[in-house]
Amino acid sequence: MSLNTFEFLASQASSAIRRNPMVTIAAITNVAVALAILGAFALVAINLHHMAALEAQSAVITCELDEGADPADVEAALLLDMRVKGTKFVTRDQALENLAKKWDFDLNVLKAMGNPLPDTILVYVSDPEEIGAVADAAGKVEGIGKAWYPEQITEKILTVARGVKISGLVVGAILILATLTVISTTIRLTIYARRREIRIMQLVGATRWFIRLPFLLEGLFQGVMGGLVAAIGVMTGYIYLEAYAEQNLQFVSLYTTTDFLVLFGAGVLLTGAVFGAVGSLAGIRQYLRTV
Amino acid sequence: MIHLEGVSVVYPSGVQALNDVSLHIGRGEFCFIVGSSGSGKSTLLQLIYRELSPTSGRVVFDGQDVAQLPAAKVPFLRRKIGIVFQDFRLLPDMTVWENVGFALDVLGATRREKHRKVPISLELVGLGEKAASFPHELSGGEQQRVCIARALVNGPPVLLCDEPTGNLDPDTSWDIVELLSHISETGTTVLMATHDKYIVDRLRKRVVNLVRGTLVRDDQTGTYDVS
Repeated sequence: MSLNTFEFLASQASSAIRRNPMVTIAAITNVAVALAILGAFALVAINLHHMAALEAQSAVITCELDEGADPADVEAALLLDMRVKGTKFVTRDQALENLAKKWDFDLNVLKAMGNPLPDTILVYVSDPEEIGAVADAAGKVEGIGKAWYPEQITEKILTVARGVKISGLVVGAILILATLTVISTTIRLTIYARRREIRIMQLVGATRWFIRLPFLLEGLFQGVMGGLVAAIGVMTGYIYLEAYAEQNLQFVSLYTTTDFLVLFGAGVLLTGAVFGAVGSLAGIRQYLRTV
Repeated sequence: MIHLEGVSVVYPSGVQALNDVSLHIGRGEFCFIVGSSGSGKSTLLQLIYRELSPTSGRVVFDGQDVAQLPAAKVPFLRRKIGIVFQDFRLLPDMTVWENVGFALDVLGATRREKHRKVPISLELVGLGEKAASFPHELSGGEQQRVCIARALVNGPPVLLCDEPTGNLDPDTSWDIVELLSHISETGTTVLMATHDKYIVDRLRKRVVNLVRGTLVRDDQTGTYDVS
């Protein structure tokens, strides 16, 4: 592509934006609002999952071994379950030591009282959502008397997370549709305003993509700008919220690492670009069918 | 150069625009297509630049069956054809120079190519002095010259003119036709649809006459009416 061609395409795209600044601003605002709401949903869902994962890490399944059962056999049986990430054998003596440490008891006193604890195997699951099912299955493994886990907390968080995901999908679908409609409508306005140029381009032998490219660029610009506004807005809000939560809500720890924030910002921007591209292509397809 | 073989066009409305038309136009020829409004002149031109495809029959351009051309190849066909319209179709917010250059821009030309070709084209139509003017500052005849310059700037072997003098007074019309005749003498095939009797009778070139879509006459040095 010659420099002149590049300039030509860029000037075609930018003239549309300059010609209809309000329409462009409306489209960008729409993309920004939609992406901000979607982004907020995503952040809430990610954080709930993060909390559930933290909870699930501590909430391992404790399997009490029957007396005389071979821990190695039982571990092997448990590991057959694909959902199990790992197991750890804890003798009753170790269990007693852990207990003493946890509650700050005198180990010798406890030992003197006789150790009431069984040998146990701790089972870690890969997906916290599966913990209940895995515990049920573990309870049926030969050599295990009882399998239990500090349930409910994880479950409850996951239930909320599921709700957020589902409502996010519903709201998201509506917003995506609205955004694509707005972008394709602005592209349609540009196509209409430029129908004479387009006609001449067609007649002198411009290729289809040459004619379409400026509109695609225009849509991309709207999408990326909207994404930028949304990313900056949501991330700023999130950082403030995180600081507030740290000070006032000790039990909530928001998921914030620099990597995560950068990835999230990039994701919002990319989604904006995809919206812009898909929206403008829809507009082009609809109104430039003959091109 | 252009070859039509038993071409018929029936519009979806059922109107028969062309009826079994066969025609051969050689390289460098100047040919009038005459007939009253609705006789199928424009339809015939549109077949050549693939704005339309025939319902039956073959349209061959430069050895290529135009109707068989895949849509993606149509732009490359059109680069070999310059088109001039009755209503000029100039872009009002561009100067004469830019209007002609636009045709090169959309073909991906470099700046250097543009600066070489646009002045040549404008000189050819006698508008070298008006390069910086806007279309609304020009007379009708001058606007039509810009349109011709734009059609020729890419050096196409064929020029199709659809009633190019339809909006012009007789003297100006004659100037335009002389220009087209001059262009055809340089080797460009020129096909001009018109119902301007005065011009056709005065220039004495090949005349193809359509009546309600049927080719009724093809005279090598004809007049508008049957002589």
